Amino acid sequence: MTTGASIVARGITKVYGNDSSAYHALGPIDLDIKPGEFVSLIGPSGCGKSTTLLLASGLEPVTQGSIEVDGKPLTKPITEVGIVFQDHLLLDFRTAMKNVMLQQEIRGLDKSVIQARAESLFERLNLKGAENRYPWQLSGGMRQRVSIARALVHDPSMLLMDEPFGALDAISRTQIRHDLEMLWLDTRKTVLFITHSIDEAVGLSDRVLVMSKGPGTIVEEIKIDLPRPRPAHLGEYPEFTKYANRIYSIFEKLGVYKFK
Amino acid sequence: MTAPMKTFRQRTAWIAWIAYPTLAVALCLGLWEALVRINDVPLYILPKPSDFLARLVVDRTTVLAQALATSVSIALGFGMAVLVAVPLALAIISVGTLERGLFPVIVFLNIMPKTVIGPILIVWFGVSPAVAVFIVFLMCFFPILVDSMSGFRATDPRLRYITRSMGASAFQTFRYVRLPAAMGYIFAGMKIGIVKAVEGVIIAEFIGSSAGLGFMIMRASSFMDMELMFSGLIATALVALVFNGAMLAAEKFLMPWNRPRHA
Repeated sequence: MTTGASIVARGITKVYGNDSSAYHALGPIDLDIKPGEFVSLIGPSGCGKSTTLLLASGLEPVTQGSIEVDGKPLTKPITEVGIVFQDHLLLDFRTAMKNVMLQQEIRGLDKSVIQARAESLFERLNLKGAENRYPWQLSGGMRQRVSIARALVHDPSMLLMDEPFGALDAISRTQIRHDLEMLWLDTRKTVLFITHSIDEAVGLSDRVLVMSKGPGTIVEEIKIDLPRPRPAHLGEYPEFTKYANRIYSIFEKLGVYKFK
Repeated sequence: MTAPMKTFRQRTAWIAWIAYPTLAVALCLGLWEALVRINDVPLYILPKPSDFLARLVVDRTTVLAQALATSVSIALGFGMAVLVAVPLALAIISVGTLERGLFPVIVFLNIMPKTVIGPILIVWFGVSPAVAVFIVFLMCFFPILVDSMSGFRATDPRLRYITRSMGASAFQTFRYVRLPAAMGYIFAGMKIGIVKAVEGVIIAEFIGSSAGLGFMIMRASSFMDMELMFSGLIATALVALVFNGAMLAAEKFLMPWNRPRHA
């Protein structure tokens, strides 16, 4: 099993376009993500969270600065990675299992090994019985579970998630959050998790990076020191409420919330 | 008991599926027959269904041979249109300059009525089935091209991020993602194309062919042979039905993932 990768970024910025209409989306920011760490990025819309994720995976080039993954400079898209977006982005012409096995087909990996891993992921993600169903035959929560299985089946060192539970109902979110945490505890992949939800950020992370916009920067780093696995009802920890309140107050200070 | 029992209604569903349309057609023809008989309409104005259906049976070898000639023209023209339009759509989508340069031309050719080129084709090819093949080609080409272009554009750009993170080559992305994702659109274009093909082939055979159902109907017209003209009409409808059915079967076979339309 591949263990988590480290991500170190120094002074990275992203500017889209290069003329007068250029848009400074991000930075400069630094990142120091340890192997196997679960780090969340939280902040208002347009603060460069998604951009950070694309830069960290090499899918978009940085405008300035440098990134090292496992000590190696990042110059092209890394493949030791699984990505989950808010939309499941499953191929609607493939069954759930075939969607996951796309990783094996494109990467040319050993079929029986990956098949076995896919089956165990289906078990762990409560997807038993969904193998031969097409995406349109699955609920939103199940599609997102399939998407997570696809991101993990090739045993990457890094998992990048861009608001993966954003489109789900509250009950599904709580369950899938727990299932993700249990998987992570077993595999210890490095996770970069983007969210708008304070509950998710505090409920899942080792560390939360709070971002503000215009251009996106990291304004505060909060270490979450809570036992794992964390419960469904996070409110039962006074510590949890303390962390959540801290993020709320940062948002208020930044003008994200304007309550009277 | 292992397999779930089908109910009586499920087992007999196909009977209703065939019986109702048959009954509807029979009723229409019966009404037609009755009205013509009651009003004593002469044959050279409107033949009775019994007249032209009998003629269809009597002249079945001739009609079948002409229907076959028409079908060959449709198949050739349609096949060529698919073979040219789909790769061209991909090329246009992939190369920006090609899209900007070619699109106005495509729009112009698309709105131009294709049959106006018939007389020119007669000069080029003489009165021959080649005229029909070419017109069928033109009639199907544009809907297939335009829908294929939409199909190749339809892939979510973020899916590119996912395939790139898998290390997929451009060909793999095409083979595993873009082509199957475009299939539904390509079939939509082909289904419009095949309807236009049947329409186009008959007109082409009216004006410039020495074979086919259109030719047969035109010749029957010059002899005022109403029975044969109506037989030709029925035969044309049957040809259209066969090609449509073949399209649906091909779609079902090539796209087994398609969600059932009535579910």
